[in-house]
Amino acid sequence: MLGYLLKRLIQMTLVLWIVSVIVFLMMSFTGDPVFMVVPIDASDAEIAQARRLLGLDDSLLVQYWKFLTSLVQGDFGQSYVFRQPAMTLILERLPATVELVLVAMVLAIAVAIPLGVYAGANPQGRISRVIMAGSLLGISLPGFWVGMVLIYLFAVNWGMFPSSGRGDTAEILGLRLSVLTWDGWHHVVLPAITLSLATMAIILRITRAGMMEVGRQDFMKFARAKGATRRDVLYRHGLKNALIPVVTIFGLQLGDLIAFATITETIFSWPGMGKLLIDSIYRADRPVIVVYLMLVALIFVVINFLVDVIYTLIDPRIRLK
Amino acid sequence: MTLLATTAGGAISQEKSITIGLTADPSHLYPLAGEELSSNIMYYHLYDPLVQRSPDLSFGPGLAKSWETVDDTTWRFKLREGVTFHNGNAFTASDVVFTVEKARESIRPDLVANIETITAIDDLTVEITTPKPYAVLPNDLAELLILDEDYTIETGDTQMDLEPMGTGPYRLDEWIKEERLVLEAFEDYWAGPPTIDTVTFRPITNPATRTAALLTGEVDVIQDLSVRDVGRVRSEGGFEVLTRPSLLNLVLALDMREESPTIDGSNPMTDQRVREAIARAIDVEAIIEIVMNGLATPSDQFVPASHIGHVDGMDFREMYPVDIETANDLMAEAGYPDGFAMTLDATNDRYVNDAQIAQALASMLAKIDIDLDLNIMPKSNFWGYIRVPTENSSFIMSGWDVPSGDAGSMYASLFYTRDKKEGYGQVNRGSYSNPEVDVLIDQADATPSVDERDRLLQDATRILMADIPMIPVHYEQDIYGVRDGVMLEPRVDKFIWAHDMDVE
Repeated sequence: MLGYLLKRLIQMTLVLWIVSVIVFLMMSFTGDPVFMVVPIDASDAEIAQARRLLGLDDSLLVQYWKFLTSLVQGDFGQSYVFRQPAMTLILERLPATVELVLVAMVLAIAVAIPLGVYAGANPQGRISRVIMAGSLLGISLPGFWVGMVLIYLFAVNWGMFPSSGRGDTAEILGLRLSVLTWDGWHHVVLPAITLSLATMAIILRITRAGMMEVGRQDFMKFARAKGATRRDVLYRHGLKNALIPVVTIFGLQLGDLIAFATITETIFSWPGMGKLLIDSIYRADRPVIVVYLMLVALIFVVINFLVDVIYTLIDPRIRLK
Repeated sequence: MTLLATTAGGAISQEKSITIGLTADPSHLYPLAGEELSSNIMYYHLYDPLVQRSPDLSFGPGLAKSWETVDDTTWRFKLREGVTFHNGNAFTASDVVFTVEKARESIRPDLVANIETITAIDDLTVEITTPKPYAVLPNDLAELLILDEDYTIETGDTQMDLEPMGTGPYRLDEWIKEERLVLEAFEDYWAGPPTIDTVTFRPITNPATRTAALLTGEVDVIQDLSVRDVGRVRSEGGFEVLTRPSLLNLVLALDMREESPTIDGSNPMTDQRVREAIARAIDVEAIIEIVMNGLATPSDQFVPASHIGHVDGMDFREMYPVDIETANDLMAEAGYPDGFAMTLDATNDRYVNDAQIAQALASMLAKIDIDLDLNIMPKSNFWGYIRVPTENSSFIMSGWDVPSGDAGSMYASLFYTRDKKEGYGQVNRGSYSNPEVDVLIDQADATPSVDERDRLLQDATRILMADIPMIPVHYEQDIYGVRDGVMLEPRVDKFIWAHDMDVE
């Protein structure tokens, strides 16, 4: 286990380093950040002064070296636009994103697993066909469209939910969370549904496929033969064995949603970090983009690790080496 | 009288509050850290300048209650007494001196480019000298927001963005990034406390969501109501759509060098007839009608009528009305009966429908056989790409606004001969050069009299309109959606000032 952890740690450092190099190289093609900061009629002297103040007067290689050396000392650099530490900017927006994603994931699982199990156990049933057709819709409808339709129907037409924002929040352990207040729940419902639809559909389809596969196995016949209830057969014997691919997809989706909830956040003006990424790309704000993508890479690596650990819990035959 | 009405109103109604939906969260609350619209809106709530700019762009006393010129280059500003910052510190001349010096070292040295020296004569008097006679110094000062010397030094630049401190009508109550920024009225404001006690700004980037938030009553006012939602909001009861031509003039810069980067052979646009032909081929009315949904105003000159340097009654559209036949004749006369090919550089995320306007231009110029390639890019690449010495461009679409109400700074940057004088012609993207215009700009920048400056710049305008180094297209329109009961008079500079508003 220790060896495994060490191997994972080295891999992770390597991945993060490669990400930083790629992003730095990419950013040299995306316009000069100085022109996003100075007035358009700035004189050469004014531009030079801004370049110096932003630390952009060095060559790209020197800039990268400075970035790397301060990174080792725990300094992730300052945003050109906000003039604040890039890490602070991201971290103050992270909780909102994680909250939204977790609500969306819980919603996705709560709906997808039972429906998936049902559709897998009764593949020919009429209800199963409806469920599967619905899941196709969930995969193919674009998020921004779903979001706008939900706002139009539930907020503007029926006035059931607010159109945007985060609502009242309550603080716990220094984190401001919407799910702790009624008003906050009210605000989180529409964006969480929008965000969860695609994931819901994917998990549903994977669960169904897994269940159909497991259903043909001998131990399921045994379970039925020994007189276990239908519910026990499906959930305790069937689902548990169909879960490995579901957990894999779940992990990937979780990382995906945290990293790229951008569209949903923009539509519902949810104050998360996805919007920061988009704004930073528009403004060529390199430090924020670099730190953001490195953080995302880190999240993926950690989630993958956790998924591996969960495998061993579900299936005792799997060992981490 | 105003004061009486305010107090009487305050007595009967309870706390007044308003929520305003903006297109973006401010990047800064520290005026020397940078500028963009959302930040500017916050600055003017939290801080005051020496000279105040009214909604229709006239200039009057702010923190300075009066000013006079001592000689051609020396100004004396009398400061208002009894003004305090939000923390109770008294506002004095040394704060003004500090602010000017601080600006020089910051990312915005342009704010004080026309100030040579500044000295505090006494606690409530400052003397400013300019490098040369400069008639519109007060207009410039309307953009310089005064900092509290002690507090700013103590707090430091980075923290100033989060804990601003000014003399303005509102103070910061709470700022949760990307979610809301709440201001509360400053009871000791020198001009009397504002009518609205609490102002909440919410950033709502997506235009359709902004409209939805207005319609559901989550916000009372929205900025930049989307053009396609105008009809919807108008038809809904209880809401009003307010529009006002903005200061942003969309212009096309024509390259006038002998050889141009995207044109084979010699550059046809050095010939005035070709430039006139291009002007006559562009149907601005059609662009406004079809691309802009009617929500734009044709530009008559390079600056709006309110500005110093605008010539009354002169209209580019009347001088060069759309006329393809005349335009083709002009092209033939100039020796280009078969036209030529060049590239238009334009943005796709900076101006309203900018990419579509570029497409419309291509089809219009095709009628006089100018084959226009479109090179469209996001603004993060654009400004560096078109930057003087304009090594890549022949024909550029960009916007220009002059909130100082004076054509002088625009003409000096855009039309003065390149590389002749420091600080002049630095954005002259078409390399236009006319000694007469240079002389007029020099004279305008050397006279201490505003009337004289106006006369000189008007002469420059007349020459520019005949020379056509640039084609003015249209002014975008600022569009606001407000619920009934909100009193809002849109400002020409697009800033929203809650202390000029009222709610029922």
